[in-house]
Amino acid sequence: MKKSKFLIFIVALVLVFLIGPFIVIILSSFNETAVMRFPPQGFSLKWYEKVFSIDMFRETFWISLKVGIAATFTALVIGIPVAYANVRYKYKGKNFVELIFSSPAIIPGLVIGFALLRFFIYVAHVPITLGLYLGHTAILFPYTVRVVSASLRNFDLSVEEAAVSLGSNPLGAFFRVVFPNIQAGVAAAFILAFITSFNNVPLSLFLTGPGVSTLPIQMLVYMEYYYDPTISALSSLIIILTIIIVQSAEKVLGISKYM
Amino acid sequence: MAYIELKQINAGYVKGSPILKDFKLEVERGELVSLLGPSGCGKTTTLRTISGFISPEKGQVIIDGKDVTNLPPNKRNIGLVFQTYALFPHLSVYENVAYGLKRRKVAKEIIKEKVNNILELVSLTGFEERLPANLSGGQRQRVALARSLVIEPDLLLLDEPLSNLDAKLRDEMRAELSRVQHQLGITMIYVTHDQIEALSLSSKIIVLNEGNIEQMGTPKEIYEKPATRFVAKFVGFDNELKAKFIKVNDANEVFVEVSNTTIMIDREQHFDVKSLKKGQSVSLFFRPDDTIISNMKNETSLAAKLNYANYQGNNSSFALTFEETEIRAIAPNVELQNSREIYFSIPSDKIIIEK
Amino acid sequence: MNPLKSRKTLILLAGPGFIFLLCFFFLPLLYVLMESFRGVDNQITLSRYFDVLVDAQFQLVFKRTLRIALIVTPIAVLVGYPTAYYISKLKSKKKSILTTLVILPLMTSPVARTYAWIVILGKFGIVNETLTTLHIIAEPMRILYTETAIVLGLLQLFMPILILTVSSSLENVNSEVEEAALSLGSNRIGVFFRVVVPLSFEGLIMGVTLVFTGCFTAYVTPAILGGANVLTLSTLMREQALVLMNWESATVIAVIMIITTLILYNGIRAFRPRNMA
Repeated sequence: MKKSKFLIFIVALVLVFLIGPFIVIILSSFNETAVMRFPPQGFSLKWYEKVFSIDMFRETFWISLKVGIAATFTALVIGIPVAYANVRYKYKGKNFVELIFSSPAIIPGLVIGFALLRFFIYVAHVPITLGLYLGHTAILFPYTVRVVSASLRNFDLSVEEAAVSLGSNPLGAFFRVVFPNIQAGVAAAFILAFITSFNNVPLSLFLTGPGVSTLPIQMLVYMEYYYDPTISALSSLIIILTIIIVQSAEKVLGISKYM
Repeated sequence: MAYIELKQINAGYVKGSPILKDFKLEVERGELVSLLGPSGCGKTTTLRTISGFISPEKGQVIIDGKDVTNLPPNKRNIGLVFQTYALFPHLSVYENVAYGLKRRKVAKEIIKEKVNNILELVSLTGFEERLPANLSGGQRQRVALARSLVIEPDLLLLDEPLSNLDAKLRDEMRAELSRVQHQLGITMIYVTHDQIEALSLSSKIIVLNEGNIEQMGTPKEIYEKPATRFVAKFVGFDNELKAKFIKVNDANEVFVEVSNTTIMIDREQHFDVKSLKKGQSVSLFFRPDDTIISNMKNETSLAAKLNYANYQGNNSSFALTFEETEIRAIAPNVELQNSREIYFSIPSDKIIIEK
Repeated sequence: MNPLKSRKTLILLAGPGFIFLLCFFFLPLLYVLMESFRGVDNQITLSRYFDVLVDAQFQLVFKRTLRIALIVTPIAVLVGYPTAYYISKLKSKKKSILTTLVILPLMTSPVARTYAWIVILGKFGIVNETLTTLHIIAEPMRILYTETAIVLGLLQLFMPILILTVSSSLENVNSEVEEAALSLGSNRIGVFFRVVVPLSFEGLIMGVTLVFTGCFTAYVTPAILGGANVLTLSTLMREQALVLMNWESATVIAVIMIITTLILYNGIRAFRPRNMA
């Protein structure tokens, strides 16, 4: 059918546009010369070696990892009860509460980072790493609440009531009966939130200081001074890692259901 | 003193006003009572008030003499069977059934014994290790039943438990429920909108409509002598005729006039015929299957025009028009005359009078 | 869903989260808001706002940011909507592969993603190399560090977002409704515009909201692809705050960003259709 051909053409264009850049960057990371050229000339793994030799990449990788895990964990712990409250109950002011908990997703990350810098770091003299952790937790909140809510909505309320009628108190019922069945949703929330935190730039931009920075920020700094394919190599590594994580998550958890 | 009592209950709010208002209910020990009615009538609200998932704004819930109104649902020792079975998807059949016993800190060996016994009762021995996902609908329902019975509850509440099963399975499960109830002598309150279920299972039926009890009685009473227009329509008294009251005699036989024909209605009516005045308008209700069709007139039959007759084997389905009223009948076949004039009558004990 | 039995449950469940956000999110924002009204002599004044709003550079940057958003959003819709439609019609295996491919740009580090465009759009990048080899142009053009580069980079980020939001509301369009329209004489394009689009309109509005406000507040893409010469609102703010140390201006710009975002977000959402039968 005529429309189908045209449609397929558009879709193909879109896919090339979305994925093409990734292929380009992976290919260019093997470039022999330092100048950013395409098509790549020669083949070398030296830029990959360089990535691992640069201290600031290694150090900030760990910081990003630690902050990411801590912030994601916190966002889950305070987010799951909120998701539960909003899926199970109806009450006055519910819309307002839902708005409050999704507002960190609406306010630009840059502004949040700036506000945290001014208030917590400069006025309250909170250590930077703590500020980083707090800021990340705040922006991960809407993600954990949204994904866990989706998972809870698919869970039959009667099962909980059955547990209560058999003698469980509400908290016991949650841990024994609800939680085991939303584990996939919680795991999906964890992965989505962690990736968001790890990749975050606007918030982390303001919350860096002596000895404290995140990997994406350091990549930006590096790019300001050097033009070699080191960033291509590091980017390629990150892209491959992301693909592996997202694919496994999709296979095991069906993560696209929760987006 | 009744075993279960609801006194002056206000509960179940929809758009600001309660579904149940000053609601009263009494159930005796060992009864299987059905709450029957259309959706929104308050039957589920009643059930959830008894089980504790709805807190009444006013009134008391009394079980076996104890006021449990303020007791949370996990402390009421009531068995619940849900429409969706509500089995714990991540636990085996054994674990599902043992759940309530574990909460009561029963010893392991005793749990094993009780679970095995109850599984035998519902014919599920051998299914202990299966997960709910690997069970059929009927099997799941039996696990749900076993799970709520094993804790030896004071009362079993069932909320339309069979509506997700196909017809044949429903028949089997109904028989199963009946058997279990008789064997254990347990008090059951059963919520349904299906009159056949209510009629076949219960010792007592309560018909609800918009938060009010329309009638309470045995299945026979409900089916044959409905007390109100609502109940009559609900159990199938589809035909309605307008009539004029003539008189009532000492044997409580009521005489009314329809189109210059006198019709007698038998005694044992709920309706207060004594208050009627001669010539007052009343409504007569009767079932299509009780309607007698003939092509010859007699003293009590009425002449009507035949619209169509559908052959259905032993009987036919007739559609008549009598003085602008549609009448339906299911009756044995008759020779149809060309004039399409037909006569119908109703046995005197199959008519209900309402205002 | 049950009506809430006791206020206490709600407080227990939502309380910790609420307090957390209050302390570590709303409070700092409030502080910034208050600071924006602080004048030279510590009085309450709008002079800071005035200074920023009349500034020529600010106005230029604001208009540019708006312009970029106004270019990216329609393209994302025009190209993304049909793509989402196509994907929604696929069988589950192909659908899941394509969905993963579409999600990928969203999940990857924005730095990595945007850096690829430097390779593509640079002086010796693919585009220029191809065009000079084919003799379409004599020497490499400057594409990098222009608005065009920013637009391309933002498209790569926001098209997936639009495709995702539209996809989920397309799931609700019953294919039988489309078949009914076809049987009544509509051609495929007619069906798309008269049946599919109206029924998935809610997803479209959500998508447009996210894309438009996203373009407005994006940082990494304009930072890398625009450089210091082509600033957008976010890169301007960062420059004021961290490079020029002009905190007063930065604060005002921050507040302006919040207000604009809120206006855009609620303004576009107002076009959401009321619940259809």
